[in-house]
Amino acid sequence: MTARGDVATTIVFDGLTKQFGQTHAVHELSATVRPGVVTAFLGPNGAGKTTTLRMLLGLVTPSRGTATFDGRRYDELSHPVRQVGALLEATGFHPSRTAVNHLRTIAVAARLDPRAPGRVLETVGLADAADRKVGGFSLGMRQRLGLAAALLGDPPVLVLDEPANGLDPHGIRWLREFLCGLAQEGRTVLVSSHVLPEVEQTADDVLLLAHGQLVRQTSLSELRAEHAHGADIRTPHAQELDLLLTAAGYPSSVVGPGRLVADAPPSVVGDLAAAHGIAVHRLVESTVGLEDLFLTLTADVSP
Amino acid sequence: MTALIRAELFKLRTVQVTAWLLVATLTVVVAGGPRPRARRSSRHRARPAAGSALLAVAVASASAGEIIVMIMGILAMSQELRFGTATSTFLVTPRRGRVVGAKLAALTIAGLVFALVSMVVAVPLSVVLIRAEGGTIIWDGQVADVLVAAVLVMMLYGLLGIAIGALVRNQIAAIAGSLTWVFIIEGALAGLLPDAARWSPAGATGAALQIGTWTGNQDMLTPWWLGLLVLAGWTVLIAVVGTRSALQRDLT
Ligand SMILES: Nc1ncnc2c1ncn2[C@@H]1O[C@H](COP(=O)(O)OP(=O)(O)OP(=O)(O)O)[C@@H](O)[C@H]1O
Ligand SMILES: [Mg+2]
Repeated sequence: MTARGDVATTIVFDGLTKQFGQTHAVHELSATVRPGVVTAFLGPNGAGKTTTLRMLLGLVTPSRGTATFDGRRYDELSHPVRQVGALLEATGFHPSRTAVNHLRTIAVAARLDPRAPGRVLETVGLADAADRKVGGFSLGMRQRLGLAAALLGDPPVLVLDEPANGLDPHGIRWLREFLCGLAQEGRTVLVSSHVLPEVEQTADDVLLLAHGQLVRQTSLSELRAEHAHGADIRTPHAQELDLLLTAAGYPSSVVGPGRLVADAPPSVVGDLAAAHGIAVHRLVESTVGLEDLFLTLTADVSP
Repeated sequence: MTALIRAELFKLRTVQVTAWLLVATLTVVVAGGPRPRARRSSRHRARPAAGSALLAVAVASASAGEIIVMIMGILAMSQELRFGTATSTFLVTPRRGRVVGAKLAALTIAGLVFALVSMVVAVPLSVVLIRAEGGTIIWDGQVADVLVAAVLVMMLYGLLGIAIGALVRNQIAAIAGSLTWVFIIEGALAGLLPDAARWSPAGATGAALQIGTWTGNQDMLTPWWLGLLVLAGWTVLIAVVGTRSALQRDLT
């Protein structure tokens, strides 16, 4: 991989909409994906992730709106393979073609360096299987081959639809580090997933999609800061502490007899209780798991 | 564009089915070919050919591989959808019309190769068989015309295959449909509506190969190159309709 510095590319979705008959697959999606970080494109099954990415890549025609790379549609790019690398679910391979020959079909058509297929097979750990027919490949091997195809043109932008599918834990860790590395080189990396924990350690930015609509565009750290910290408190004086916390500007609520949750760091709760002589029997930091958060946020949108 | 054509030829070379199709073509040439026989239409009953036409007849019969080249064309198009390679193909070349154009060019070249290989086997084999039966070989203009027509017919059928593959999305439907057309509907058409059958793809093919001269079929289009033109017309028609729909479809 060569270093990039200057070729930053920003992806912009603007009012992107797709209807399949009665199905609103994607509705008025507007968002920006910046270079230099990994952006996670999250949403439950059927949220419209794949449809959005296929529109971005010119494979599906939007009903309305646009998706562009630095202002240009995919089919307007002068050299798409060198500018954008893509891995999509349901991308196939001819079963009787070998792995390296699959990559060569792309390399020949895109006038790439004839050594590129061998190089990317090395990168994804498939060098030994280069001359094997893809028909005999496992799911994980196919996924790696798809990734190799995305990397073939050494592109500054990567668009990957559920790249971790079929990878073993080893492969997932490798992928995570690999994607972070690509982003650190200044590339734009957009990765879809329906499992938040999968991208938790990789992503910087998050696009949250549900029922075809963008729920949030934010950074993962912001999302964590917003929701992760809270306190779960057991005290015989729940009502009293609740009033004190609320007065101090921390949202809180009594959730059961002698039990209270507050949107405040435990240290604040403990100090406040001590200052007012309130006995606290148990005080734990409640971290809302990103998984729960994901479920909550995506459940809120009505279809 | 040359890069795209090279890529399409490379795709043909790197799948096993292409080799099998070549084997099938040669089998057709050797097994069914150099003996004058009825082609497709049940109405065309073979009769002993007149002296000078003997070699032409043999060569024409040997070029039955065009159906196989057509299947190669259908596969070149429909396997992309069946195996999902269409996604990578269109990612490399988002302007889909160029992909279809490259496939048409590649099948022209592949059709030429298949035709030349067929002729290299068919012509000497015909000569040997005719000699063995005590016939006289006469090289005349008709033989030359049939040779040229046989090569062009094979190339056109490759294009026809691409056109059908673009029009009919489903691979099985495309192959089964076109074989049904060639072997069943064309036969029925020739029997029921000979005037229309002259202009059908198979009728035009027969005319191009001058099959009428040995089947005694007077209904064939003349001259022989009119048959080629009509066949080309069919190809263009199906290609235009098929390509237009293939270009606009969402690939999900
Ligand atoms: N070709 C199509 N015809 C009709 N409906 C479609 C088509 N493609 C997608 N859809 C519908 O659009 C919606 C979004 O599908 P999409 O595949 O984009 O979801 P996704 O977020 O990628 O889901 P997953 O996590 O399962 O991959 C779904 O309701 C799906 O049924
Ligand atoms: Mg999907």
